[in-house]
Amino acid sequence: MQTDQLLEEIREANLSYLVLAQHLIRRDKAEALFRLGISEEVADILERLSTAQILKIAGSNMLMCRFRFDDQLVWNLLTSHSRERGVAGAHAAILMAAALPEAA
Amino acid sequence: MRGRSVVDDAREVRRAAELINLGARLQVLESETCLSRERLLRLYKELRGKSPPKGMLPFSTDWFVTWMPNIHASLYMAVHRNLEKLSALEPVEAMVKAYRLYLEQCATNGLDPVLSLTRAWRLVRFTDAGMLRLAPCTRCHGSFVVRDHDLTRHFVCGLCRPPARAGRTRAAALAAN
Repeated sequence: MQTDQLLEEIREANLSYLVLAQHLIRRDKAEALFRLGISEEVADILERLSTAQILKIAGSNMLMCRFRFDDQLVWNLLTSHSRERGVAGAHAAILMAAALPEAA
Repeated sequence: MRGRSVVDDAREVRRAAELINLGARLQVLESETCLSRERLLRLYKELRGKSPPKGMLPFSTDWFVTWMPNIHASLYMAVHRNLEKLSALEPVEAMVKAYRLYLEQCATNGLDPVLSLTRAWRLVRFTDAGMLRLAPCTRCHGSFVVRDHDLTRHFVCGLCRPPARAGRTRAAALAAN
């Protein structure tokens, strides 16, 4: 029962992620690549997926999205509660924007 | 001018209008569109309801290396570079898209956008001309805007090592009260 519920939640997360990604890509590709942090090849594949295909992919037992950074520093900046919160956010944004997706 | 297609012309006007709405000055418009000065002036007045500011654009690279402007300039360049590397955009398009994303970042972080579109345009031009460049910070490994002749082997950015009294401006004090 527990596992079933987990799988259902994963499916929902996957589904909203894929639908959002497709929506972003169709609206403005260049901007979407920046927001999603994916390469153009992956974006092209996502763009062409049909609804049935999206449903099928979403039904996996693995999450389709993952974190775009594994840097301890970025985590600290994003979670900090210092007085200069805006500046810390900008710092994190500089570091995150600099990270480019690996080629697919 | 006579042989130009109407469709191209419409595109140019739309681009100029977009730039004006984002706050571009006339020099930016003259350089990025091929509309005549008179038409740009008319367009500017129509959209803004007043004449464009006169005088020269700020021409110094020093502004970009002072503390707060440097954070904003580096943020803008990070976005701009990312866009440029990931998709093949026209230079103006990349500049405008990066500027919109930069404004978004400022809004989500609660920062006033210090960098105007004209400044952002200058920044890209200065970088293309090699007067400014990006240097990696030795602590956080982010890229930050520095002047070409700055020494950067042991460079630490203004965010990892903020200068004394950084950000304590009169405006900040007023906002706190």
